[in-house]
Amino acid sequence: MALVNPDFAAELKAYGVDTPLECFNCGTCAAICPLLFEHFPRKMIRYVQVGAKEKILQQAEDLWRCLHCGLCTQTCPRQANPGELILGLRRYVVAQARRA
Amino acid sequence: MFNPQDIIDLLAANVRQTRNPFGVPASKFNTWWKDAGGFTRRPGDALLFTGLMYQAIPYIEATTRYLERLEGSSWAGYLRYSRFLPASLRGRGLAALTSAAGKKKFNGILHTICRLLKKSGAGFFYHPEMDFYSGILLYDLGDQDGFIKHAQFVDKTLKLHGVSKIITVDPHTTYALKELYPKYTGATFEVQPYFSQLQFQAPAAGNGKPPVVLHDPCLYGRYLQLSEGPRRVLKNLNLEYVDVRNCGEFTSCCGGPAESVSPALNREILARRAGELKAAAAPVVTFCPICLANLLKAGLPVEDLASLVGRHMA
Repeated sequence: MALVNPDFAAELKAYGVDTPLECFNCGTCAAICPLLFEHFPRKMIRYVQVGAKEKILQQAEDLWRCLHCGLCTQTCPRQANPGELILGLRRYVVAQARRA
Repeated sequence: MFNPQDIIDLLAANVRQTRNPFGVPASKFNTWWKDAGGFTRRPGDALLFTGLMYQAIPYIEATTRYLERLEGSSWAGYLRYSRFLPASLRGRGLAALTSAAGKKKFNGILHTICRLLKKSGAGFFYHPEMDFYSGILLYDLGDQDGFIKHAQFVDKTLKLHGVSKIITVDPHTTYALKELYPKYTGATFEVQPYFSQLQFQAPAAGNGKPPVVLHDPCLYGRYLQLSEGPRRVLKNLNLEYVDVRNCGEFTSCCGGPAESVSPALNREILARRAGELKAAAAPVVTFCPICLANLLKAGLPVEDLASLVGRHMA
């Protein structure tokens, strides 16, 4: 079971993430991502949308598999900027670790 | 895969102590300019800003060879303690693992870029004390605070030296100075990649050799949309090239960005891109030191744009 936090997307604005709610989960990003890995980055975007913060922290290492190649952002039909969202989540996780 | 936090902490400690991610003082590995002839700064000249990237490749290769052996082993977790060693000690160890041939090769690319810029009549100068690592790896790995502090230092130092125009030689530094510095430090430098400055009275005949195939780095292809620049240079020199399907804005990543946290993942992505390029059955040309070193690792016949153009204009 995961707790959801509807304010999580707003919390991420401080880390440069301001478009996750634009995503309608079409999966184009996951299809074009060279990682071919467990619906990445779509799964992470969904976690942000529903505020599943704990899920993100549990799977945080996956964020650093991202190559920051930009193909997901280039092809996103909603300009949800998945690449920048992953980068913002890295910033969030690093900040949490340093605070701990 | 290594624990990303261990890698970030190590790199951030190195940048804080030596202003570069390797823990080696820049004066030890930024030596290419000593054999490049003199530089005179005239009013209005642009600073040639290498971002220490080409010089760093032999150090990155040495680090990766070490990390490849460590990844997945029971020793991997001990990496987190290396940040407690003094940067000078870490740096000396790394310097000892770095090959002289590699240093000569990558320094040679910078010499060629200089020669081509001079031949093109570009107004530029170089000074090693104004050339810094951009901090881009900290940004990419999510160490926002570390990146901003370092970028502010670089920005302030360049402004103190009255620098307003910059010529870059690699996509990572170009992206950092052109896009990230204005956003995070308020920098307002006029930044141009070196190939946009190249203009020659070219020999019309080309080089009579079969075409090369181009590998666009992600940052030039997508983020900065500068893929046309190198193609313009080649067209002007009548040097033939071909493109693979995934090129320009839709270029495929070589895997290089994964190298610091997972050399194994890098190898996996690299094998796929190498396959795409091999299908063209032509020598590969690229314009990024990270891509160059990575594609060489895949055993492809690959060289830098500057090397190809420099040989033609010799």
